[in-house]
Amino acid sequence: MREYREDQPVDFAIVGTGAGGGTLACKLAEYGFSVVAFDAGPYWRPLEDFASDEMHQSKLYWTDERIVDGENPLQLGSNNSGKSVGGSTVHFAMVSLRFRPEWFKSLSILGYGADWPIDWREMWDYYAEVEQTLKVSGPINYPWGPKRPRYPYRAHELNAAALVLAEGAEALGIGWTATPLATLSAPRGLAHPCVYRGMCVIGCSTNAKQSVLVTWLPRALEAGAEIRDLAMVGSIEHDSRGLVTGVHYLREGRWRFQKARNVVVAGYSIETPRLLLNSASGKFPQGLANSSGLVGKNLMVQANQAVWGISDREIRSYKGPPSLAITEHWNYSDEGKDFHGGYSYMSQGPLPMLWGATQSSKRGLWGQALLDEMEKYNHQVGLKIVGETLPQERNCVTLTDERDQYGLRIPRVTHSYSDNDKRLIAHSLRFMRQALQATGARDIWDETDDTCHLNGTARMGFDRKSSVVNADCRSWDIPNLWICDGSVFPTVGGVNPSLTIQAIACRTADRIRAMARRGELITT
Amino acid sequence: MTERYPGYNVLNKRNSPSWNDQTREVIDARLAIDEDFHRFCDQAEWRALRAICEQIVPQPAHHFPKAPIAAMIDQKLYSGKGDGYRDARLPAQGDAWRKGLAAIDAEAALESGKSFCELGQEQQRAVLRKVQKGEVASPAWAGLPAQLFFAKRLLHDIVTAYYAHPASWSEIGFGGPASPRGYVRMNFDRRDPWEAAEAKVGREEEARRDNEHVG
Amino acid sequence: MRAARITRRQQDSLTSLHEAASNLRQKYAVPDVLRTHVRPVTTSSREAQWRNAAGRQLNLGAALLSLSVLADSGIEHYRGSFQNRAMYVPLGVSALALAASLFGVLDTRARSHVLRDGLYGVAAMTGVIGLGFHGYNILKRPGRFSWLNLFYAAPLGAPVALLLAGALGRGAEKVREDRSSRILGHPAGQTLGLLTSAGLAGTAAEAGLLHFRGAFQNPGMFLPVTLPPVAAGLLAASVINPGNALRRAAKACLNLTALLGFAGVAFHAYGVSRSMGGWRNWSQNLLGGPPLPAPPSFTGLALGGLAALSLVDKEQRSPST
Ligand SMILES: Cc1cc2nc3c(=O)[nH]c(=O)nc-3n(C[C@H](O)[C@H](O)[C@H](O)COP(=O)(O)OP(=O)(O)OC[C@H]3O[C@@H](n4cnc5c(N)ncnc54)[C@H](O)[C@@H]3O)c2cc1C
Ligand code: SF4
Repeated sequence: MREYREDQPVDFAIVGTGAGGGTLACKLAEYGFSVVAFDAGPYWRPLEDFASDEMHQSKLYWTDERIVDGENPLQLGSNNSGKSVGGSTVHFAMVSLRFRPEWFKSLSILGYGADWPIDWREMWDYYAEVEQTLKVSGPINYPWGPKRPRYPYRAHELNAAALVLAEGAEALGIGWTATPLATLSAPRGLAHPCVYRGMCVIGCSTNAKQSVLVTWLPRALEAGAEIRDLAMVGSIEHDSRGLVTGVHYLREGRWRFQKARNVVVAGYSIETPRLLLNSASGKFPQGLANSSGLVGKNLMVQANQAVWGISDREIRSYKGPPSLAITEHWNYSDEGKDFHGGYSYMSQGPLPMLWGATQSSKRGLWGQALLDEMEKYNHQVGLKIVGETLPQERNCVTLTDERDQYGLRIPRVTHSYSDNDKRLIAHSLRFMRQALQATGARDIWDETDDTCHLNGTARMGFDRKSSVVNADCRSWDIPNLWICDGSVFPTVGGVNPSLTIQAIACRTADRIRAMARRGELITT
Repeated sequence: MTERYPGYNVLNKRNSPSWNDQTREVIDARLAIDEDFHRFCDQAEWRALRAICEQIVPQPAHHFPKAPIAAMIDQKLYSGKGDGYRDARLPAQGDAWRKGLAAIDAEAALESGKSFCELGQEQQRAVLRKVQKGEVASPAWAGLPAQLFFAKRLLHDIVTAYYAHPASWSEIGFGGPASPRGYVRMNFDRRDPWEAAEAKVGREEEARRDNEHVG
Repeated sequence: MRAARITRRQQDSLTSLHEAASNLRQKYAVPDVLRTHVRPVTTSSREAQWRNAAGRQLNLGAALLSLSVLADSGIEHYRGSFQNRAMYVPLGVSALALAASLFGVLDTRARSHVLRDGLYGVAAMTGVIGLGFHGYNILKRPGRFSWLNLFYAAPLGAPVALLLAGALGRGAEKVREDRSSRILGHPAGQTLGLLTSAGLAGTAAEAGLLHFRGAFQNPGMFLPVTLPPVAAGLLAASVINPGNALRRAAKACLNLTALLGFAGVAFHAYGVSRSMGGWRNWSQNLLGGPPLPAPPSFTGLALGGLAALSLVDKEQRSPST
């Protein structure tokens, strides 16, 4: 790996090496820029470093303290961001979906949320680039949306949990498909195909999972980028002109400074606003890039409610990637909806710790009742949504006065569902209950309060008043400060976000290259 | 109640291709946890914690090895390693537990003058049910919402500790560690020979035989 | 043995098999019960010889196909946990077909044998029934005849291989009988040539399906979808429209296809070794990795095709009266 000096400015210092930062680091390095990408987490070698154990693998998660409040406080940690080179994609569930095209203009076409300053047709090409890079395994014909190129690898075999989803969908007369997944269904060079061990959300020790760690980052290194791991960026420095000059970061017990011509923040929807807010200065008392006051605002989760039941058949959903089948019916059909937005739902495969936590914390079970219920583990089957929630300014990331081990102020994450969110959730629970019943499942219950994927907090938009960055992920306030991760989403849609984040990063890289050619980048 | 997976012990797979060295190391360490060892809890807290763990997860007598849940929690609290989030209404993890254990003891004492661990089984459960519903009377709960503590801290920590232990995996028929070997048979009612066999009514012995060959 | 146009190596092995067989025959004379219904020899001994050689080569093809089916259905039905008792049937039948074929290979008499003939019939029937079972398996899964089910549900190609083994075997028996033997109203060589040609094309199609499932991730995966179809085409062409150049090309391609069957096993073995855990994880990788027993069906069919070609050759030179 190439290494850069701290006192010589690099073209780009990127904070975070996940879906946004890792992808961008690769593309920018390939375009000839000098790049140092920082990550607070370690650089894992999955084949050597990962054990098959839920508890042990919590080492992948961002477990630094965060305060949650609001009417519906979030569960973060394992459920959320990763602290690893490769970001959350090291432990993500690999579901790789495209947005419904209308969502990029949901305000003008569908009447809710906000418009994106990007056209879906442009995104369609970038999606294809990402799918190729991840060798996404997907169905031959995708049932919804405009035509897309064939997925590079074929869909995986379905497990019983996925077949239950299919049965339910067919019984209710809606479409379903094998989920496009970023894990190999056939060898890729030296990489093994998936062995269906089902432990994807604790890290893939097979290395079949096509995370940022094993796709973009090796390419980034080859192109001359430096990945600086175990490096926690605490603040971004700027000069008297209001241009950023580099980042302060803690590594090996000491605060250091890396000079840079451009800084990209890609720390995910909590750490990104936190870093911008923590970098407040005399010149920017509200934090960087925050003249709109929107940094940290419009945090959007995706609803993650589920129905669970017991099948007479053995399901053993711990086998195979957890979400092998999906229906996007309610993303693409707006018929009879009493809410804005959409949701997809997928089959599930919770591992024992998670399943125990679900049964106890969500249903209040303990004692013999808990053990009895847990004993049905191999017969449980569930359907779980990824549901769109609407942007609300009251859902936000702010700073508390408590400080963490780095001496940095701890973020507070405030979350409440809107009425529209609640209607969407109710619709989904009703529908999935019918679907599960149709497969003969018994003892069906609703898990009503789970969430997944965070987005927003530094939205992109058309002007500096109503957004933090423009379509190119460039901040309106500081022209050499960029934000390139899930935080730039104006709306979230009803699909998992990582493919879109990576597509945006690819687009941003192309835009930066074009701007550089035209001499529109800041040269310090 | 009869076992659903008679004779299945996930540890029999330890030397099979389902486990790799990294996993063996991690699980060995977990199995080596001394169930009597505690550093975070003082004596009173430790007694209460153990009794509570027994109630929340009444481990079947035939379990071998038994999951040292209380010691696992003590270890986690001592390390200070958190979950990454904390409900704003709750104190930090360690404080919440100290306060909570003391409050549960106080709640028990309110009624019977005894500490929680000295109560009978049924009485202990009654106290825990009250805490779960938030129907608590002791002033020791000041600054600690009982219901929230019970659901988000007490249940969460105890139950996740238990289901992180191989004893529980054998009980629920989970395949356990699975690397390098994963699974092949994914359809309904299928098991790989290295998975737990479920006892069907009247065919328990067949399952037991199959389970003896799991490895 | 000049008559049967087969490679020197095959010839050598056949000769040594022949010797072994005659030794065996002397040692363990075939009991009378196995000799019943043997038809009298009516043709000249020269012709009987080449017919017999072609027949035995067809038996050898059938043997390889049966072996492939035996191993493949063994592994696949084991993977399917023998959920249905009928899943044992193809194992038994293909084992019997294999035995019959080996018996045929060793049997130098220019006659068909009722036992072999019967077993081949059973094998072909089993193939047809199996096709029905597999079709039903696909139909009852959500998605019906979707790509996903074609990839992962019970394969349609496998029972067809058993059907082909049976058909080749029946053909072997038929050509041993007499020079005017006709199958389905055409000279035996022609019919068998077209049959093996279709079989090769079908097997290539199945390899194509499965290699498509594997995203043709290794360039070698293109071999079985290119070489055998070419061989099949040349074979069919030279059966319909005999000519020296065509026939030579067909023979060359068929020989290569026969080799490909063995090379395929090696490729697949490499694939298993490259899967997670390699051979140490055989209990997963033999089932989940590339199937070891599948490629030899190409060899079996190619041998059948070669035999058919030599028959056509003879049929041409000494037209039946
Ligand atoms: C359990 C789980 C399952 C998921 N499943 C899916 C799925 O199936 N499909 C899908 O599309 N999405 C899924 N996601 C979501 C997806 O992983 C995220 O949306 C995506 O990775 C976010 O990308 P990002 O670039 O915004 O941030 P991340 O990928 O989280 O990367 C952020 C990185 O920045 C680093 N960082 C943050 N702050 C700093 C700092 N100050 N200094 C240094 N480094 C810092 C972090 O360590 C982290 O590595 C899942 C997420 C989880 C948690
Ligand atoms: S199921 Fe596949 S992708 Fe998931 S952890 Fe296992 S090998 Fe990796």
